[in-house]
Parts: sequence; C-alpha cells; structure tokens
Amino acid sequence: METIPKTEESQATKATERLAYSIQEAADMLGVNYFSVYRLIQRNKLKVCRALRGKLLVPRTELLKLLGTE
Amino acid sequence: MNYYERPTPLQEQANIEAIQHFVEHLNQFKANCDALRSIECNLSTTVNDALKSVLLSPGRVIQTDDGTQWQHDLDLSSVTSVCHRRTAAGLEFAVVECLPLKSGEIKEVLNNGHSVRDVLRAFTHDQRQVLNLWKEDVKAQVREHLEEKYPHQDMGIVVESFEIKMARAISETRAVTQSQSRGIRI
Repeated sequence: METIPKTEESQATKATERLAYSIQEAADMLGVNYFSVYRLIQRNKLKVCRALRGKLLVPRTELLKLLGTE
Repeated sequence: MNYYERPTPLQEQANIEAIQHFVEHLNQFKANCDALRSIECNLSTTVNDALKSVLLSPGRVIQTDDGTQWQHDLDLSSVTSVCHRRTAAGLEFAVVECLPLKSGEIKEVLNNGHSVRDVLRAFTHDQRQVLNLWKEDVKAQVREHLEEKYPHQDMGIVVESFEIKMARAISETRAVTQSQSRGIRI
C-alpha cells in the first residue's frame, strides 16, 4: 500500500483546513453555482470577510455550519 | 492614468489572460443576467400564469425550513419557484428557493406578499443587488490576480474594463424593466 510522505500529508491537511475559501471554492464545497453562493451571502446565510483588495472570503467555520458538519 | 488612452500591449495581454482566467465567472454572470432579464421581460405573463395556477389543481406542496407549506405554481429557475398559500388575510405569494447543498436541501422563502407582481419585483430587485455584489467581488479578484501576475504595473484599465462589462450587463437588465414599465419597446 502506498503511503503519503509526511511532508506531503501535512501540506494536504493544511490545504483542506484553510481558514477561509474563495467563492469558487465555497461553491465547489457546497455543490452549488456561484450565484447561489452570492445569494446566500446577500441573505446573510453565509457570513464572509474581505481580503485586503476587497475580495470576498468565506470562513471555513461558516461553510461547515452550512454543511451541518460543525 | 488617463483611461481614454489606448491600452498598452502589456495591458492588452493582461486583459486577454484575465478574461481566460475568469471565464467561468463571466459566463455564469452573463447567464444569470440573461435569466433575470427574461423574468423581468415576462413579468406580466409570469403573474398571469401564477394566478392561473392558483385556480387550477393544486401543485406539489413545498414545506420551507420555517415549517410553512406552499403550493408550487411555476419555476423561475432550477432553484427558485413562485408558490402560494391561503392565509386568513387572503392569498399569499412567495418566491421559494430550494437549494440542493451537498449536505441537504435548504428551502427558504426569498420574498413574499399578497401581490404576486410585487413579490416578483422585490425578487428581481434583490437579484440585481446580488449581481452587484458579484461584480464587486470579481473586480477585487481581477485586481488581486493582476497585481500578483504583473507586479508594479498599472493594470487599472484592465480592472475597469471588467467592471464596465459587468455593470453594462446589469444595467441592460434594468433598462429592459424600466422601458417595459413605461410601455416603451427597445
């Protein structure tokens, strides 16, 4: 059986456990299109924060809340 | 920078590259603008169809997450539909969203009221606000992307061209609604 080298494993874990995600990533995780994600944000069902340039980021905790896994 | 000047070859190259990078956003954005425009153009027909549906046999029942039960009248999109229910105060209409998330479906009332026309108008107004939120986010994403890809280069003209493209798509939607409400055909 193949095992993931420790460094790669920790990098993979880091990648999946980021603090916040872009709209595209949030859409993929929720299984909906971009417009649906923006609609959830507009209705305050999904709380977001803004990056330095104003880009919207969805906190991981918010996604987990919506996915019912928290 | 004077935005009336022609873009430099580097700015033109950055624009082409950014369009390719954000193609999914732009395609989905345009498709949703078109869908909204279609709802606004056919508002009177949709109102009539919803009212007809009330008189006809009851449609399927949708129970929203707040426990309210609605009769389905017609679909506005793959996730939104016009529904109604009978209350002590008379008929109540709603635009209900059934959003299939990976974890399960969210069923929520987006707009409701006793006039189906007013409910649809409130719905389209809200959707335009969502499109504006989307436009601002893409603008910020494009700016960030270009700053990373072309550091220390002025790419303001490219960001602005994205903003204009998206704002035009939204305003075309609004122009159709306004001209229709005045009975003018454009």
